[in-house]
Amino acid sequence: MRRITIDPITRLEGHGKINIFLDEMGAVRNVYFQIPELRGFEKFVEGRPAEEVPQIVSRICGV
Amino acid sequence: MATADFEPRIIGFLCNWCSYAGADLAGVTRLQYPPSVRIIRVMCSSRVDPQFVFKALAEGADGVLVAGCHPGDCHYADGNYKTMRRFQLMKKVLAQLGVEDERVRLEWISAAEGNVFARVIQEFTEKLRQLGPFKPGRKLAAGEEG
Amino acid sequence: MSKLKIASYWAAACGGCDVAILDIHEKIIDVANIADIVFWPVATDFKEKDVEGYPDGYIDVTLFHGAIRNSENEHYARLLRRKSKILVAFGSCATMGGVPGLANFKNRDGILARVYLESPSTQNKEQVLPQTRVEVPEGELELPYFYEEVKTLADVVDVDYFMPGCPPAPHQIWAVLQVLASGNLPPKGAVVGASDKALCDECQRVKTEKKVKKFYRPHEIIPDPQKCLLEQGIVCMGPVTRGGCSAQCTGANMPCRGCYGPLDGVVDQGAKYISALASIVDANTSEEAEQIIGQIVDPAGTFYRFGLPGSLLRRARNV
Repeated sequence: MRRITIDPITRLEGHGKINIFLDEMGAVRNVYFQIPELRGFEKFVEGRPAEEVPQIVSRICGV
Repeated sequence: MATADFEPRIIGFLCNWCSYAGADLAGVTRLQYPPSVRIIRVMCSSRVDPQFVFKALAEGADGVLVAGCHPGDCHYADGNYKTMRRFQLMKKVLAQLGVEDERVRLEWISAAEGNVFARVIQEFTEKLRQLGPFKPGRKLAAGEEG
Repeated sequence: MSKLKIASYWAAACGGCDVAILDIHEKIIDVANIADIVFWPVATDFKEKDVEGYPDGYIDVTLFHGAIRNSENEHYARLLRRKSKILVAFGSCATMGGVPGLANFKNRDGILARVYLESPSTQNKEQVLPQTRVEVPEGELELPYFYEEVKTLADVVDVDYFMPGCPPAPHQIWAVLQVLASGNLPPKGAVVGASDKALCDECQRVKTEKKVKKFYRPHEIIPDPQKCLLEQGIVCMGPVTRGGCSAQCTGANMPCRGCYGPLDGVVDQGAKYISALASIVDANTSEEAEQIIGQIVDPAGTFYRFGLPGSLLRRARNV
């Protein structure tokens, strides 16, 4: 089984990697897409004042 | 989790005119109290920047004492009022950072109150013995996970 | 003269720092004339394997943004440190932890549980959590390890320069790129792209005397656009924050939240602000002080909005 890894994926916002598994004929057997990032905004906004949340969550994506 | 042989380490910021003199009086009159406090003399309790308190905790102190003149008696007139306000806000922040309320204390101790100083250290040490050592979020070594 | 080789990488980041670099607009052409980009995931297709293949020190300058949240972030920090002559901690996340650093008010288990198990829009009957290694029929897959706490770039590698801001202002980015290209480098460890005076020096608002009898949350008051926000009872971190950002926030009627970090000589920006703010509380008795100070909501989350991992205590404990 041949494996092609694309790491990192590029020209978009965010982290990702792709693993492609090929059989003996070179046909795609399976593809796995993984997101190796997590920051946890949905947890750490708990306890912050409501009027501050827009400013905080705007940092989820700066694009 | 306190162990019987845990010796708490207290950093004490004492103002020159009142509380440091009070601590000195405790010594001169040979009052007994646990050897847990390491004293740093400042000219006024209002010199104590919250950074000092946080740094003490971050670098091995189990408790921090800030001591000044009684309100109205500050050698610099109103320094200790600033200390009081700073301390109140600092306590709110420390609470949010999960630092137990009993680990950081503000006391008014006059130059004549050697006995008060000795009692405060005695009580504070006991309390810290019950609370156990303070574990700062130490800087993790290369490659270590939290 | 050979072109400079520059790289830009994001760890636990949002992409805002990359957009800020592009916000130098047409000057990007000047940059392209003097430099080649050799790694920049948002804009170019270089892979990790390419960077591994570069000789050590091949990259002249790497702008590293994003906080260190997991083992992959740390891996890239070390890799890029090896391959770069100059490594710049770029933006608030890399210099002091940034907004992702607010996760240090929570713990790892709580975050994973909320994200993958508890949040209302998640359906995860099998209660699956991310694993660092998993066997699939075709082979093995890996994911990074999510650390117990967020760290700054300098916590894991040796950093040459620190450039604060969320994001760093484009005019400052251009200024720093010019300095780096010139070869007249500041001393190692310097903060670049920022002023060494507090924001108040740049802010256009009129400042008189600071005595606050009541604090207001920003939505409770319509602020006078000319007067200092802090004097009007709005918590503003200007006095303890580095300037250099052109005071965009206070100029837009929003209080400063400290993204440019502390000034020289200050180790813990949040702790310094405790001192600054308490000093202007106009109270003569302990009770009055307590009542006024009680009006400040979420002090730790506000004073450490961008800098919790870089602070003295680094994280909340017993959470």
